[in-house]
Amino acid sequence: MRNSIKAYIYDALVLIFAANRNSVMIAMKNALPSSLRAVYTLLCVVAFTLAFHGAQAQEAQSADPVLGEKLWKANCAACHKINAKLIGPALGQVTEKYEEEWLIAWIRNNVELRESGDERAIAIWEEYNKSAMPAYPQFSDDDIRGLLAYVDQEYAASQAPAEVAADGTVAGGGAASGGGGIGLLPVLIGLVVFLAVIVFILVRIKNLLLIMKGVEPRSFVDQIFDLNKYAFMFAANKKLVGLTFVIVLVFVFQGLWGFLTSIGVEQNYQPTQPIAFSHEIHAGQNQVDCNYCHSSARHSKSAGIPSANVCMNCHMYIGEGQSEQGTKEIQKIYAAIGWDKDQRAYIDGYEEKPIEWVRIHNLPDLAYFNHSQHVVAGQVECQTCHGPIQEMEEVYQYSELTMGWCIDCHRETEVKMEGNPYYDKLHDQLAEQYKGEKITVDKIGGLECGKCHY
Amino acid sequence: MATTKKYWKGIEELTNEPAVQELAKNEFPEEVPTADFLGDNQLANSSTSRRDFLKFMGFSTAAASLAACEAPVQKVIPYVVKPEEITPGVANYYASTYADGHDFASILVKTREGRPIKIETNKDAPINGAMNARVQASVLSLYDTGRAKFPTKAGEEVSWSAADADIVKRISEANAAGKQVVLLTGSTTSPTVRSLVAEMAAQFENTKHVSYDAISYSALLDAHGEAFGKRAIPSYHFDKGHVVVGIGADFLAEHLNFGYSRDYIKLRDPRAGKMSSHWQFESNLSITGANADHRVMIKPSEQGKVALALYNALAKKAGASTIGSVTTAYDEQVAAVANKLWAAQGKSIVMAGSNDLAVQKVLVGINQLLGNYGATMDMNQALQVKQGSDSDMGALLADMKSGKVGALIMSGVNPVYNHAAGSQFAEALAKVDLSVAISDRADETAQNAEYLLPANHYLESWADAEPVEGYYTLAQPAIQKLYSTRSLIENMLSWLGKGSSYDYLRGVWSSNILMAGLGNWNQSLHDGFYQLPSEGSMEAAPMLDVSADGRAIAQRKSEGFELELFAMANMGDGAEANNPWLLEMPDPITRTSWDNYLTVSRADAEEMGLVNENTSNGALNGSLVNVTVNGVTVENVPVMIQPGQAVGSAGLAFGFGRAAAGTAGNGVGVNAFPLYAGSQTSQTNVQIEKVEGVHEFACIQLAHTMMGRDIVKETTLEDFIKDPLSGNEPITFETHEGEKPASEVNLWEEFDKTTGHWWNLSMDLNNCIGCGACVVACQAENNVPVVGKDEIRRSRDMHWIRIDRYYSSDMTKAKAKEEEVGAIDMYASMEDPADAPEVVFQPVMCQHCNHAPCETVCPVGATAHSGEGLNHMAYNRCIGTRYCANNCPYKVRRFNWFNYPTYSKFTDVNPAQDEMGKMVLNPDVTVRARGVMEKCTMCLQRIQLGKLEAKREGRPVADGDFTVACAGACDTNAITFGDVNDKDSKVHALRDEPRQYYLLEEIGTKPSVFYQTKVRNKA
Repeated sequence: MRNSIKAYIYDALVLIFAANRNSVMIAMKNALPSSLRAVYTLLCVVAFTLAFHGAQAQEAQSADPVLGEKLWKANCAACHKINAKLIGPALGQVTEKYEEEWLIAWIRNNVELRESGDERAIAIWEEYNKSAMPAYPQFSDDDIRGLLAYVDQEYAASQAPAEVAADGTVAGGGAASGGGGIGLLPVLIGLVVFLAVIVFILVRIKNLLLIMKGVEPRSFVDQIFDLNKYAFMFAANKKLVGLTFVIVLVFVFQGLWGFLTSIGVEQNYQPTQPIAFSHEIHAGQNQVDCNYCHSSARHSKSAGIPSANVCMNCHMYIGEGQSEQGTKEIQKIYAAIGWDKDQRAYIDGYEEKPIEWVRIHNLPDLAYFNHSQHVVAGQVECQTCHGPIQEMEEVYQYSELTMGWCIDCHRETEVKMEGNPYYDKLHDQLAEQYKGEKITVDKIGGLECGKCHY
Repeated sequence: MATTKKYWKGIEELTNEPAVQELAKNEFPEEVPTADFLGDNQLANSSTSRRDFLKFMGFSTAAASLAACEAPVQKVIPYVVKPEEITPGVANYYASTYADGHDFASILVKTREGRPIKIETNKDAPINGAMNARVQASVLSLYDTGRAKFPTKAGEEVSWSAADADIVKRISEANAAGKQVVLLTGSTTSPTVRSLVAEMAAQFENTKHVSYDAISYSALLDAHGEAFGKRAIPSYHFDKGHVVVGIGADFLAEHLNFGYSRDYIKLRDPRAGKMSSHWQFESNLSITGANADHRVMIKPSEQGKVALALYNALAKKAGASTIGSVTTAYDEQVAAVANKLWAAQGKSIVMAGSNDLAVQKVLVGINQLLGNYGATMDMNQALQVKQGSDSDMGALLADMKSGKVGALIMSGVNPVYNHAAGSQFAEALAKVDLSVAISDRADETAQNAEYLLPANHYLESWADAEPVEGYYTLAQPAIQKLYSTRSLIENMLSWLGKGSSYDYLRGVWSSNILMAGLGNWNQSLHDGFYQLPSEGSMEAAPMLDVSADGRAIAQRKSEGFELELFAMANMGDGAEANNPWLLEMPDPITRTSWDNYLTVSRADAEEMGLVNENTSNGALNGSLVNVTVNGVTVENVPVMIQPGQAVGSAGLAFGFGRAAAGTAGNGVGVNAFPLYAGSQTSQTNVQIEKVEGVHEFACIQLAHTMMGRDIVKETTLEDFIKDPLSGNEPITFETHEGEKPASEVNLWEEFDKTTGHWWNLSMDLNNCIGCGACVVACQAENNVPVVGKDEIRRSRDMHWIRIDRYYSSDMTKAKAKEEEVGAIDMYASMEDPADAPEVVFQPVMCQHCNHAPCETVCPVGATAHSGEGLNHMAYNRCIGTRYCANNCPYKVRRFNWFNYPTYSKFTDVNPAQDEMGKMVLNPDVTVRARGVMEKCTMCLQRIQLGKLEAKREGRPVADGDFTVACAGACDTNAITFGDVNDKDSKVHALRDEPRQYYLLEEIGTKPSVFYQTKVRNKA
């Protein structure tokens, strides 16, 4: 085996780097089979690379962040946050600070670890006022790895919110996409190298044939970069010209179409607001119900921007922000409504200054959208259209808000008929008509023009 | 996004940029002579070459694309402190009152984010008044930019405090000098104003309050004053009036304006097996006459004689003494009416429109003979909405001339315009030491007064009314004052040094009204009314002696050509003359908008050489005449040849020809008030002189008869009782499978009729009196643009609902057969309306065909059908091919030929063009752009909202939860909206009525709108 490989490499090298006719003639005996073998070998290399990488990926999958998320929510979230201290420490960079084995030991039974005299464990215990963390003997190593993977992933997501937003992938829910993505690059590089080698081999073969004919071949570089010749060859091939033209045209039209259809689509629009209000703090950390501030979402077509007096329900008592900046922002509410922080009273005769928010979600006038229809009758979560609003430090337009986007959802969303007597009769009729199919919004007229345009 | 970027900050900054402003305003850059190449008749003369045109187009496109490059930043500004009752996006309704002296209505004001946008009937109120077109349109007058915005003295702006100080000082001086201090108002029934007048009189003993109605009911009031010792008008109960006789009284529309159609229609239901019998004696064809079972054309001066003849006939039956002997050409009809009336003693009403005291006294006698007082006419809880006194007004004018009036405070009146002696009044004003006009605009009178104190709109004010004794209503502000204005109440409170109008009004109510009946303020304010428990009936008054009046009438002679002045359903007395919705609303009878005109009979027109001609595009032209009465001439009055006009008489409407109404209303029509000598609507010895020139009308109906087709199906009560299908015989087709009803012959696939809702409209032609309130209600609800006279003339009216009016023709198919008239001649003569036609009204809007011809021809699918039986129109999808309109058999589609909301040609007429007028737009309905087709949506926004409310509350939609705008505005329940798949709905029952039919059913469009046969009581 080893010999044959050696022989093959020799043949291949002779064939490729042959400088004179004699050596070529000798090598020709083995030329064709060995070039085939060369291709075979390269394929093997590529396959091996892929297999190796696949194994790696598989290994990574045993640390399943989806599983981790479940465990986190069930067991950890009450005391820990990714980026902030709660009862326990912020766990954002925990895998950087501590090695995995130590973490597994700590999570499984921190008391045992402490009692074993581990200094780091005792230090944490001291730092957090000796508050007890329960033991989790039921967690397997993979469970804990998953948990840590989830923590890492969340931390990474929280550090780069803008990027996540930019490519439009879901930051909160789309956990499983991490492993496979990184593997693509080596495969691509492998393919490029493979193609380069093939081109190289073919040029050499051509040279060889020229030498055999007795013609002096031109240098490799000259041949590869003889643009003139390519141009002639290209121009001579009418079909190729036609094909290229069509392909270019398709791309141009696609680009134009993309440009035109993007006019007025303000996805990811994230203007600076007069008050740096953070939904992350209010809806995320403090879990304020969306409807508390946007109360008209349940009653009206407009969700409503809360008036300053709604802010004051809480901010009469909360005058300090999480940061100095936050405190400054809260002052802006006081400036709008006329609240004297020191006297803890509204200023008499104060000229109120309305807060001029910048409107983000902006449907054209020709479309009628009603929040209460979706929130109350349709029982749609705010996040379905507005995205992970509880994680947005600064709100951006999450959805396209195009008609296609509306229609897609109407085609897929099941009407919430149960428990609503409005639908009783209709439900029976439609159940009869569509026998077992899901009753989606389009089946009750959700695609009719006049339902949104009047 | 970076904050350093420069954005447009909303519309304000946008409009500050002159170039952009120009662009937005003119649509095209200034250089383009838009009107030249868009007005098609001028195209040939246009100096714009094709090349230039393309250049301009290129530039505009480039400019538009540049402007569109970046979306402007929009602000969203919440309340700082949100009022608890306001939820943005949700309408609030406030009960209120419309009472301007001419009309009265108990209303609900629909507001959105603090802006009134629509007036609805307050259905809970026991007495509603009239929900007519003017009440519907009044919300637009609120946003009229022609309103006065600050107080002026002799044309110069003054502060309120300076004006107050001066006015109070000079009133005291005048009072001290023994001169009269006169408060001149329209009919006001406000307890608060009464209380304030009393307080003012206490402070200034020479105070006098004079009530003045532009269209006077003085004689009616005085006659009842003589008979009952109480100067008031009886409350008529038409729901008990089985025989109704009108002598020149247009009580269904413009006589008293108190919504009698609502009660009248209750006895017009043929399903009961009987209907009231309605006779009308009149000169002009009025809405009431058009609805009468029997209409007798009399000359205006003959009203008295007919009344007297009727009195005598009844007196004979009653065994009372007759007065003189009077014969008319209508003795036969009078005898028939007398028989009818005598058989319906205590169940009839006889009314006259005349403002002649003798005639009204004879009428009192007639109704007394019939025992109607206390039965159908209630003097106990009398009608108070009219109070004007001709004699008081005459005395005031004389006092003014002789300098006896020291201070004249006028509120809500415009005598310089609407008094026959208006010019004298203007001169006399100069002799008054202090003249103050509290007026919403610098009108004809205010221009002649020293002070103009701008008045609130009624939607900005606290006010109250007592339209009927013991029935009180409240009016509350539905919006903050738009300008620096004050109501009469606020002015008087200021002068008397009292508090706010709310406190004062509430005080008056607490001490005078609510205490008497243990009422509750909050409840009354919520309901909009408070009714005192009714007291025992009044003792019967002795028979009024009318012998002297009767003899006077008997001796009168009909002299020369006669004129009957009247009020039209759109403009009334002309107070809202600057309201484009009213100007554009076609008169229900002539179907002509933006005009008044002299109506003459065909015979008289031929004799005087007066013509009406249609131009090649269908527009109507008419001759011009000068009309002279008692030496007063109104010049250049256009002539309208009117079927049903009594020969030897002409009609002319009040309310037009304003000189200082505003940009939209100035100079529209002619002013008829100078001819209103002695406040008499009937004038004799009228000279009509044809003058040179042709008047261009904006008449939207070209065909005045049905030309032998069954568009409006009609029968008589007698036939209906015999056969409920009479007049509505099913249409059948001969097919290869034998004879089949039209409903079963079908080229289309059947549609799903049963799943979910199927919204239907029933239009009961027996109930529709043609008043046109629905037209304006629809306009307000659906942001229908106003297009102006020129466009209407080109048949480019935009109303989504129209009320077709058809006259009967003397030629019928039966007659043609009998007289052996050929088909061509028959159809030709069928086009001519009869000289004494029967009239039918038919509201037509999009029929929402389930097999819609418009849908199949739209090349872009912009109009499509809904599963709920509606024909949808997606404006943004429409490219304006107008195939749909061409293929619509009902001609209900309307095309936006121009950008009405921006194009400068429509600035004066289209309210959506100014910042104020925009506020009336319904935010739930798209404002359509140029090149887009539109039509009735069956108030889709209301349907969607109604369904949503049901879904949110988790209940099925109940019948009557919500209704369409036209149905909501209909006093006579002619329009019924509902879900025909709901077995318990009214509309379901109506669909199964034998009178039910589809318009043009034979063409197989399967509409969602259906009609009910009209039934006349010919017995």
